Amino acid sequence: MPTPYEPAATRVRTDAGPLPGAPPSRPPLVRDRSAGWTPGVCDAVARHLGVSRRLVRVAAVVLAFSGGAGVAAYLFLWALTPEADGPAGAGGPVQARVWSERRRWAVLLVAGVVLVVAGGALLVPGVGMTARGSVLLPLFVIGVGAVVAWSNLDAAQRSRWLTGGPDGMGWVRVLLGSGLALVGVLVLVTRGSSVSVLWDAVLAALAVLVGALILAAPWALRLWADFRREQDAAVRATERADIAAHLHDSVLQTLALIQRQSADPAAVTRLARAQERELRSWLYDGPQGSQASLAALVTEVAHEVEDLHGVPVDLVVTGDRPFEQHGVALSRAMREALLNAVRHGAPPVTAYVEIGPAGVEAFVRDRGAGFDLDAVPEDRLGVRRSVLERMERHGGSARVRRREDGTEVELRLPPIEGDDT
Amino acid sequence: MSSTQTPAPTAPVRVVLVDDHRMFRTGVRAELTEAMAGASPVCEFVGEAPDVDTAIAVIRAETPDVVLLDVHLPGGSGNGGGDVIRGCAGVETASGAPVRFLALSVSDAAEDVIAVIRAGARGYVTKTIGARDLLTAVRRVADGDAVFSPRLAGFVLDAFGAAAGEIAEVDEELDRLSAREREVMRLIARGYQYKEVAKELFISVKTVETHVSSVLRKLQLSSRHELTAWAMGRRLV
Repeated sequence: MPTPYEPAATRVRTDAGPLPGAPPSRPPLVRDRSAGWTPGVCDAVARHLGVSRRLVRVAAVVLAFSGGAGVAAYLFLWALTPEADGPAGAGGPVQARVWSERRRWAVLLVAGVVLVVAGGALLVPGVGMTARGSVLLPLFVIGVGAVVAWSNLDAAQRSRWLTGGPDGMGWVRVLLGSGLALVGVLVLVTRGSSVSVLWDAVLAALAVLVGALILAAPWALRLWADFRREQDAAVRATERADIAAHLHDSVLQTLALIQRQSADPAAVTRLARAQERELRSWLYDGPQGSQASLAALVTEVAHEVEDLHGVPVDLVVTGDRPFEQHGVALSRAMREALLNAVRHGAPPVTAYVEIGPAGVEAFVRDRGAGFDLDAVPEDRLGVRRSVLERMERHGGSARVRRREDGTEVELRLPPIEGDDT
Repeated sequence: MSSTQTPAPTAPVRVVLVDDHRMFRTGVRAELTEAMAGASPVCEFVGEAPDVDTAIAVIRAETPDVVLLDVHLPGGSGNGGGDVIRGCAGVETASGAPVRFLALSVSDAAEDVIAVIRAGARGYVTKTIGARDLLTAVRRVADGDAVFSPRLAGFVLDAFGAAAGEIAEVDEELDRLSAREREVMRLIARGYQYKEVAKELFISVKTVETHVSSVLRKLQLSSRHELTAWAMGRRLV
């Protein structure tokens, strides 16, 4: 049931498409990795500009052959375009997506390995390498290595960093990609040279990689900032959604009920009282611990009676102990006493439960006219059976005291045997 | 019972009402005025304040007998009612009695209750209290006695370990309740009025008041761990 109080959760994911009713706007430039092998750059541009995807691809290829401008633009967009979870409405089968990603990586890995082997073979004299090929192929190897490494960082943009860094596979990819690139650079530099210059070449290659890292630093920073922002926003959204959901389920519902029953003062009082109690416990009690205590049980009983009859019950509990069958019996007897008090007595109804080493004592008091136990007909089982006999069965006692202004029921339980606390 | 507790000749208690909700202040005034209608007025309202700083200014200017004080208030150093009480330390009424504070709060949280009592309030009642009971409480506090709600009595029994059977050997011991004080607290927790407590224990109402005041003193001065821990939460120690 959508309400104005739960906007955060529902609106977060709609950024891939215009909101219904909003003026039509250009979709943001985001990449969708859920389909296909490519990083989705052309797709993103096509959706953003509102033109055919094929047109964009053709343009990219044409540009790529005109001095490499297309390649540069592609890489640039790839690095700077954020990644979306999916296009508008694509809740997409996650499993399928994972599989397609795995397959993609497998193919890329195989291709990379093949290229390394090919690159290595080119080093061996007599395989008939041409000057041109010996430059192009290592370059290609570098390219693939870079793709493997960078693509992984790219995929990690979301959840993986969130869950404490990339998983084992992710690191393998990063290392593999870097390794490929290094090998490619080495092959490129040392082609036709003696082994003596190899160290220089390694240093040169490392220098290139460090340079690349420095160049990539802004991008990595952006990645980090993105991640922090998202995390913060997610925490805030969750918190707000929790509070909103709680208020909606409790206070707003009660207010609605009160408006509907405004002609019935008793119902309004009961609703307000129950809601106050609930909100109070939510605000002040903190996270609910174990409810398996006698104090929690008698509190619950008092609230239940209050809700049933709409008469406030002022309950004070001191001490606590885990509840067992005798405690349960006491709480049932107390419930009966409270019911009698709210039915036949006059408010205020007060109850006090003291749980200590000397046993449990419970007092239920009302301000009614009171009643004489002996005058209660034998067939009225409420007090006699539910309160007196029940307490006696559990080794305790009960007493009904008639006072000037009301009745007080006293319930007593001896300490639990063998309990030292 | 308020009729027997309010002898006619005494002058009305001068009251300042401090609460950050205007609706609540208006409501309390209207309710108390209505409850006093026809009889000699128990109290008269001489001022109101919505926050800590205004409250201190108003109380210093008016020197009322009793301040009805909300526990949670904006302003000051963030400790609400406790700041008001400390800010008004030493202020006396025209008759030379100290200005007395009765905390009035919706909060049942132990640290709020204990904090405001330890800051010096003479009593604590919840905002759901009836008008007649509130009048009685105001009168009692004006007379220098303490006012304990059943819930506060419950806190006291818990905090002093009385519910767990700890009883002072001598009455002067600050960290425990005496057997008699424990009995009085237990009856108050059961919802008994002072008069009923007196009858139940075969003592005078004055003796009950003495016991309650003594418990209040222990509550304010004791260094029992439970109490200091609660007060520490509000930076009161």
